[in-house]
Amino acid sequence: MAINEQMLQSIIEEVLREMGTSQPAADAPAAAPAESAAAAAESVELKPEGEVKQGTASDEVLIGLAPAFAEFQTETIIGIPHSKVLKELIAGIEEEGLKARVIKVYRSSDVAVCGHDAAELSGSGVAIGIQSKGTALIHQKDLPQLSNLELFSQAPLIDLDTYRAIGKNAAKYAKGESPSPVPVKNDQMARPAYQAKAALLHIKETEHVVPGKKPVEMEVIFK
Amino acid sequence: MRSKRFEALDARPIKKDGFVKEWPEVGLIAMNNPGDPTPSLTIENGVIVELDGKKREDFDMLDQFIADHGIRLERAEEAMAMSSLDIANMLVDFNVPRSEVVDITTSITPAKITEVMGLMTVLEMMMAQTKMRSRLMPSNQCHVTNVKDNMVQIAADAAEAAIRGFDEMETTVGVARYAPFNALAIMVGANVGRPGILTQCAVEEATELDLGMRGYTAYAETISVYGTEPVFMDGDDTPYSKAFLASCYASRGLKMRFTSGTGSEVQMGYAEGKSMLYLEARCLYITKGAGVQGTQNGSVSCIGVPAGVPGGIRAVLAENLIAACLDLECASSNDQTFTHSDLRRVARSMMQMVPGTDYICSGYSSTPNYDNMFAGSNWDAEDYDDWNVIQRDLKIDGGLQPADEETVVAARAKAARTMQTIFRELGLPEIKDEEVEAATYANGSKDMPDRDVVADLKAADELLARGATAVDFVKALDRGGIPDVAHSLYNILITKAAGDYLHTASMLSSDWEVISAVNYPNTYHGPQTGYQISDERWQEMQDIPWAIDPESV
Amino acid sequence: MTQEQMLEQIVKQVMAAMGSEQPAQTCAPSTGDKVTAADYPIADKRPDLIKTATGKNFTDLSYEKVINGELKPEDLRIRPETLELQAEVAESVQRGAFAGNLRRAAELIAVPDARLLEIYNALRPYKSTKEEYEAIAVELETQYNAPISAGLVREAAAIGYKRKRTKEFK
Repeated sequence: MAINEQMLQSIIEEVLREMGTSQPAADAPAAAPAESAAAAAESVELKPEGEVKQGTASDEVLIGLAPAFAEFQTETIIGIPHSKVLKELIAGIEEEGLKARVIKVYRSSDVAVCGHDAAELSGSGVAIGIQSKGTALIHQKDLPQLSNLELFSQAPLIDLDTYRAIGKNAAKYAKGESPSPVPVKNDQMARPAYQAKAALLHIKETEHVVPGKKPVEMEVIFK
Repeated sequence: MRSKRFEALDARPIKKDGFVKEWPEVGLIAMNNPGDPTPSLTIENGVIVELDGKKREDFDMLDQFIADHGIRLERAEEAMAMSSLDIANMLVDFNVPRSEVVDITTSITPAKITEVMGLMTVLEMMMAQTKMRSRLMPSNQCHVTNVKDNMVQIAADAAEAAIRGFDEMETTVGVARYAPFNALAIMVGANVGRPGILTQCAVEEATELDLGMRGYTAYAETISVYGTEPVFMDGDDTPYSKAFLASCYASRGLKMRFTSGTGSEVQMGYAEGKSMLYLEARCLYITKGAGVQGTQNGSVSCIGVPAGVPGGIRAVLAENLIAACLDLECASSNDQTFTHSDLRRVARSMMQMVPGTDYICSGYSSTPNYDNMFAGSNWDAEDYDDWNVIQRDLKIDGGLQPADEETVVAARAKAARTMQTIFRELGLPEIKDEEVEAATYANGSKDMPDRDVVADLKAADELLARGATAVDFVKALDRGGIPDVAHSLYNILITKAAGDYLHTASMLSSDWEVISAVNYPNTYHGPQTGYQISDERWQEMQDIPWAIDPESV
Repeated sequence: MTQEQMLEQIVKQVMAAMGSEQPAQTCAPSTGDKVTAADYPIADKRPDLIKTATGKNFTDLSYEKVINGELKPEDLRIRPETLELQAEVAESVQRGAFAGNLRRAAELIAVPDARLLEIYNALRPYKSTKEEYEAIAVELETQYNAPISAGLVREAAAIGYKRKRTKEFK
């Protein structure tokens, strides 16, 4: 029995290794870095395009927005406009030569659900989830919902450069690369200063949750 | 013109803390919420058909689980008939033995126990906590993490923390894929410092169980439960899946506790207009009903929410006390940062430090807070001397003792070298001599050289893929010439085969005796009873190296 | 992707097949006298009562045997009878719910790691239909002789469906 198990294991390991190496190396040329994408974005309009289609293109990354994002709330917990956040995320993805698709998740305001639902609909299987207060993560459809590729749980510490880097890294995962994770900022004083406010913002986001409602594809119009 | 007094007050750290006014309708209220249900219980044919004002047909998943598993029925009607004031009196009166109180408090409903707490002052609750703690002696737990996920530093910090007195240690990750290395490092480092320390690695639930099954951890703690159904769903679980998960752990001989805390439901947007304490009481009845031995509670990572509303820190003490009343091991938080004010953070911790809980902190940061990956602790490595002096001032046992530099440096060095050895023996990326040296003398990760993260993550994946278990760690350490640490890891393995440490409030002594609420139950019933600080322990606690010795002057 | 899914399926099938070859273990020991808190810690006071998952005597375990490879990881695992002893200790100190958890756990020892993780994931919200829950309950009963755990799964299915938290309602 033990031998069988070991044999099986080593065969599986070998197969997995082979599969790993036989994956096509990502060779899409990196686009020229877009210059300060966010500077131009004053505001953003989300135009509903109907139910989200299951993606098939392996060169797309989905962005799953929480219910209130850029509609009922317009800035993160530290006042960064959602227009700029979205612009940087998209620019980061495009910088890696991939396409961004934006959806609105309604069934939950939880960042993991937003990210994971989007990942399941993403052609590459990779997605970014983001809440109105700015909390974000990079998710992959094969992972458990509460796991993730990278999590940025302290919204008060996320600046526009970080959102750009999140977009970039999500695109790299989508290409099958193993990028260095975006440096996680850590400030133990974010909680005392912001947690109660975060709760308030989240309550207000959650008021826009529609149980059972399917995600909606959004055309993004920057103004 | 501005008042200079007010200008001075505005410059104080406390002014940076976030406070909000109560908003009871959405549950932004700590306790004593008029919107909380009125306690009630109806049993028909051995089945609870009404719980806290709700009929069985209207039960949500939490109500149903609590009704079917969380309340002892034999004396429930009698206990519910007692007035909440009488129960509060029993709690405070040390002439009523703990066992008698537990008989009542495990037979009442969440709304009832919330009402009982609402009648007590913090001083009365502290008295009750002294009596109701499950284990005879209090203890303490620490976090061992760093921003870089540097495993050499984790091992060194764990070794130092062991010398300083922590009986249990917890790590987590910045990058999820580092989990196997961090888990290995904390287990190795802790047991270099003192044999018998139990360690865990907080990650996603299924991954955490997987690590435990492989023997990378000795227990699990971050098994979250929540007090409303929608939040439970956002946590991607149900009371039933969590109860099943609890059994999965025990089936592999692994100790575990659930975690919950006031404020999580309102933080996650679904408090259903109930007080934070009532919802936490529901969490604890679910924990009890799942048959889990204990809980980590005390708001934990949501502490900024109760701390932002009036009476919030009182509610945090109350939730720890409810845990003890349900006969659960209580690792009582005191972990996460919630204030800029040093005065306020000490006041908050007095509530558990003075009465003593099973684990006073469930995460004292053993590193400087900038390295604490649980987003900062209420206490960190740079507070070690303050903690020790508070123990010395008040003659209370908070689980720690002073340590001298030479001993600490030696333990850190050995832990770092042990990591170097085990990495070499397991064929993992090299740990260089300069990393060992840096970890030996480091205060935090700013003192550590960077590692090749991509190579580390690849190796960590590969370690799991090849199915390496704790048995491989024991062998690797033996091969590498560090048999004492190998023996400790072996002893943890056979502890799991016997299962004694699955019991309430367990820990292991340095000679591998299981100490739990079964063989060391709390026997407090008034002055000079229960846990007493021995003369030997008192000497150890008071011996701060920088105190002037009268004989030397 | 499809290749990976195929492989995953094959692995699952093989694992399931391997699991089913194991004889189902019974949980309750046939001894008459129950242990109590007085026998605790059992490893110190009654080590003779403990055997490991593969039937090794607890008192025969040693560090040297691990090093020389005589003892494998599975030889160090806990077995159902030991968890039953611990459940009896728990009952002797009025911790009935905890004892119940240990008895569910005793049943689940027979379920292989990978399958156990799968079942746990299947019990999460919106992950399984009512029928899929029932299939798991049947599997636990018939394949692993785990009636208590199966009962918990059925309870979860009933209330989960009623509360629209099963896969049908995703």
